[in-house]
Amino acid sequence: MKKLLVFSLFIAFSSFSSFSQQDCEQIAKSCASYLDGKKGKTRFISDGQVYTAFLDREKAEFKTTFYGGSTYRIAASAGSKEDYVIFTVLDLDGNILFTNKDQKNAPYWDFKVPRTIPVVISTELDLDLKVSGCAIMLIGFKQ
Amino acid sequence: MSQIYKYLFSGALILPLLFSCSTGSDGKEIDDEVLDPNSSLNTAFDGKIFSIPSPMQTSLLLKSLSIPFNESLMNPTDGLEKYSSEYQQALNLGVYSTDLGYSALYEQNSTCLRYLASVQKLTEKLGLDAAFNKDFMVRFEKNLTNQDSMLVIVSDAFKKADYFLKNSDRKSTSALILTGGWIESMYIASELNIQKPSGKIVERIGEQQLTLASVIDILSEYNDHELNNNLIQDLKDLQFYFEKIEFKYTYREPITDEVNKITTLTHDLEIKIDTDILNQISMKIRTIREQIIS
Repeated sequence: MKKLLVFSLFIAFSSFSSFSQQDCEQIAKSCASYLDGKKGKTRFISDGQVYTAFLDREKAEFKTTFYGGSTYRIAASAGSKEDYVIFTVLDLDGNILFTNKDQKNAPYWDFKVPRTIPVVISTELDLDLKVSGCAIMLIGFKQ
Repeated sequence: MSQIYKYLFSGALILPLLFSCSTGSDGKEIDDEVLDPNSSLNTAFDGKIFSIPSPMQTSLLLKSLSIPFNESLMNPTDGLEKYSSEYQQALNLGVYSTDLGYSALYEQNSTCLRYLASVQKLTEKLGLDAAFNKDFMVRFEKNLTNQDSMLVIVSDAFKKADYFLKNSDRKSTSALILTGGWIESMYIASELNIQKPSGKIVERIGEQQLTLASVIDILSEYNDHELNNNLIQDLKDLQFYFEKIEFKYTYREPITDEVNKITTLTHDLEIKIDTDILNQISMKIRTIREQIIS
């Protein structure tokens, strides 16, 4: 019987893990479409990285640099609907430069950057819509 | 007792299927993809997130300054076979990918194809063939004369590779590719600046302070078998000089255009780098890059 219990739990974890991965893959594809111009109108070059987080009522945060003379697009997705993810861009002093919360959780937003700036990008799920799961963010640029 | 196991078994099987429709605090319907918030299975977080700006952006800057292409600064492709360990292969895949982007931007088609072949060889060795497959090669060759498309195609392939590596628990390899790419872009920029000084290049070098910190963090976080220790120490030595760069940041409220979904940043940032510090940075980058490609 113990074997049955172990087997049952193994099946549960494997199924969940497999679901999560498929879920993430689908989300990544949907998110990429915001950079390639199918949903947005302009074509952005990816920075070559996929920012993935399995969120559970937490925020994921990372720092990056936006170079002067470029326009950036931040795209985020966490499922079949466009408005699951809240993302916020702050300067290193904590001043909020933008949050898509003010824009009905828009799935992507562009940033014209005349002068270089190091930024903090914070991502979280809109807990009224989705409380946990895979969230993907992509950054694209054009000169 | 057997009844308990039966329930556990049934519960375990249906656990991944526990998706239910309910209503959010403000009456919005929560999508059926919402997972059970009380399940401990949901509390997985993908560790820290790091971001290294694309090395292509520095190549784009060099081209915008009309600085001539200089192939002698690229890592020669004939020495590729000497990279036998995954550590060397990953770092040099980053190096070659920056060289590929640099030559592609300057429309050096034959050089570009040679570097593409090197990138493909290393990706095969690293098991990243899915991202750099036949389809990728065909698309790349078809777009050789279309610079914008080519950059998109190469970046997308690296994005696929990055996603694959992160999902196969090979974040250390991903970190090394990003590091190699960043060092190569800094090497090309600093050497070109030595040949013909440019305020814009000096500024771009100075702007790397945060990126260098991220590179050190990512190598430290994913340091399999402590293979990155020497490289981390070298980068920390480099960081010593970067910390002497002066920044004067002034916040100004950005302007958001809601119709066109664009926010224009209006801050100011002044960067001041002492010439001696710049020379030290250039020398240190050259040494680190030499160690990576040798």
